[in-house]
Amino acid sequence: MGLRSGGLQRKSKASQEIPSSSMADIAFLLLIFFMVSTVFQKDKKRDILWPEAEAAVKMDDKQKDILNIWVEANGDVWINDLYWAMEDVRDVVRPLFSENINLRISIRGDQNVPYNYIDLVQKEMQAAGALRVVFATELEQEITRERR
Amino acid sequence: MAVLGSKKSKVSDEIPSSSMADIAFLLLIFFLVTTTFPKDKGLAIVLPEQAEETEVSQKNVLHIIINPSGMVNIKRGESEQEQQVRPNDVEAIWRQGFSENENLIAAVKTHPDAPYRFMVDVLDALQTAGSKKISLQLLEG
Repeated sequence: MGLRSGGLQRKSKASQEIPSSSMADIAFLLLIFFMVSTVFQKDKKRDILWPEAEAAVKMDDKQKDILNIWVEANGDVWINDLYWAMEDVRDVVRPLFSENINLRISIRGDQNVPYNYIDLVQKEMQAAGALRVVFATELEQEITRERR
Repeated sequence: MAVLGSKKSKVSDEIPSSSMADIAFLLLIFFLVTTTFPKDKGLAIVLPEQAEETEVSQKNVLHIIINPSGMVNIKRGESEQEQQVRPNDVEAIWRQGFSENENLIAAVKTHPDAPYRFMVDVLDALQTAGSKKISLQLLEG
């Protein structure tokens, strides 16, 4: 072979096409990477009974613009998976609010928590200057429809 | 070639793997496009500034007092008369009051021990009725 072509025209045995058999592996790798790395929510869901409301509207804010404040049935306040005493809530929210002026507070109270605690949370929000608040609820119609 | 009984098929008996990549990418793009994140729902309200006090004429105020039992007491402005209703009835009361007086303000006063859901029920009724001026307070005394 080499002698006949005069030594100048060596034919490479490597294929000139891009190997397409490994493309599937690359695609699946991407698929798995995105599946694993997708973060849905910053904090874990806490076990509360949602209050229900018909007039509830969807929150169109981006996920990073929403701060969830969980108020459990016994009045415990949880922010970003940490328990906070009621007096400290303003000090937690204030730096977060100054970082992101579009921050909206989603108060996720248990339906049976005494209103006293919700009022205190509202006063903490006022003290922190975060005035845009949403009382997170389940949509009443959807729930009754599911029960049928 | 034409020997009887021994026809060799030219079709490969392997599954073609070159299109697997296309299928995988198709799936990838399909799920990227169709994924919708569940949006939270809730009753939006803007709190007043801290220590912001506004003087309101009593005749423009509709007092809505929420008891721990879930019953709601309605007191219109200056009159001392109280009317006991269920949270769902607040909607009709607001509509009626608002048609009489466009400057009406709903003052929702909730008893400290009243479960949160009753306050949400009343707020829901008010927002369903299109009320914009709502004041949330804690019942004192």
